[in-house]
Amino acid sequence: MVRPAMPLPTLPLESLKQRAADDALLARFGRDLSLRLIIGDGELDWLVEIEHGVVVRVTKGPLVMPRTDLRLRAASETWARFLEPVPPPGYHDLFAMRRYRRIQIEGDIRLMSAYLFYIKRLFALLRPGEAKA
Amino acid sequence: MSAPTYEPIVGRYLHLELLGRPHRLYVEEAGQGIPLLCLHTAGSDTRQWRGLMNDAEVTRDFRVIAFDMPWHGKSSPPAGWQAEEYRLTAADYSAMTLAVADALALDRPVVMGCSIGGRIALVFAMEQAERFRAIIGLQSGATIDPYYELTWLHHPMVHGGEASAAYVSGLMAPTSPEAERWETLWHYMQGGPGIFKGDLYFYRGADGDIRERLAEIDTRRCPLYLLTGEYDYSVSPQDTQAAADRIPGVEFSVMPKLGHFPMSENPALFLSYLKPVLAAIKARG
Repeated sequence: MVRPAMPLPTLPLESLKQRAADDALLARFGRDLSLRLIIGDGELDWLVEIEHGVVVRVTKGPLVMPRTDLRLRAASETWARFLEPVPPPGYHDLFAMRRYRRIQIEGDIRLMSAYLFYIKRLFALLRPGEAKA
Repeated sequence: MSAPTYEPIVGRYLHLELLGRPHRLYVEEAGQGIPLLCLHTAGSDTRQWRGLMNDAEVTRDFRVIAFDMPWHGKSSPPAGWQAEEYRLTAADYSAMTLAVADALALDRPVVMGCSIGGRIALVFAMEQAERFRAIIGLQSGATIDPYYELTWLHHPMVHGGEASAAYVSGLMAPTSPEAERWETLWHYMQGGPGIFKGDLYFYRGADGDIRERLAEIDTRRCPLYLLTGEYDYSVSPQDTQAAADRIPGVEFSVMPKLGHFPMSENPALFLSYLKPVLAAIKARG
């Protein structure tokens, strides 16, 4: 039996700016944050620019020599599982994905550690129904 | 508006000598019957056991006791702490726990520990089986995969409390109640500087790797129960299974829809898994 290929819904980053607007947790944990974040979804890179805790710009790749602080990249299949409303164990959190070597994390790890609640929230907002309508 | 109420938990400060130095330790308890000594996770404190201590069915038959380890919760660090780096070793952890059990004159208590407490539970099963009526390890593993860097848990440029809480936040099941998850994280945010990192010293070091010693455990001397939440990736069900495979007679079960902090992230669900274990221990006498 031929199983249909698993669909590869990529991260809905085109709507991240709207999803992040007025989010109480981002406001709580994003004080004084400026960050240029690359999010890799399979072969596709996105650049997320954050100023004073606010997502001000999201740019879809291909990117040409972007200046970045932090890069988080995973396969699209991994992100698809991460996006499930109740993700399976091992896919439910960025560090869970790290434990099982499903995500590549590189860059300014001090900055990431200081703002980890913010960063985790940013990704959680990509799940259906997570952001305020 | 409902009337104010007290919980049945009572806390006191215990003065005793630990590791050759005087200490002031916060101890709390609820219930009567078989003593059940509970050990909190790295970087947290006794508040993790609030659900257990507030459960009338448990406290009817068990005297549930928990203490904040030195440097944690409301227990003070020893005098002179300002010039030291806190680093927990397996030997010190074991010695302190036994000293508290002795100070409280507990008669062959049940000991239950989670995470680093789950590791030390395995050490007790190897080295102190006669001291305990039964041993319960939550999120117990014989070793740990060092999948993250500890530096940033204690660094002048990072808020250690928020970083520690954020590092452990994903260890809980996404289905656990939001309020209980954030309560659990609040305890981490309140941890003293460098204490979570210091607790992990033995847990992640060679001192704490007990894989090769697990065969020393004889569950005929003291029954050993291991329970692991399915969402934990620090000590995953596979990690506990790997340990359990080396221990004849151990009783291991996976707890669906729980993570690394079962007693704190979802007390009601945790109790549904724990109560059959407590009933079995009670039945043994």
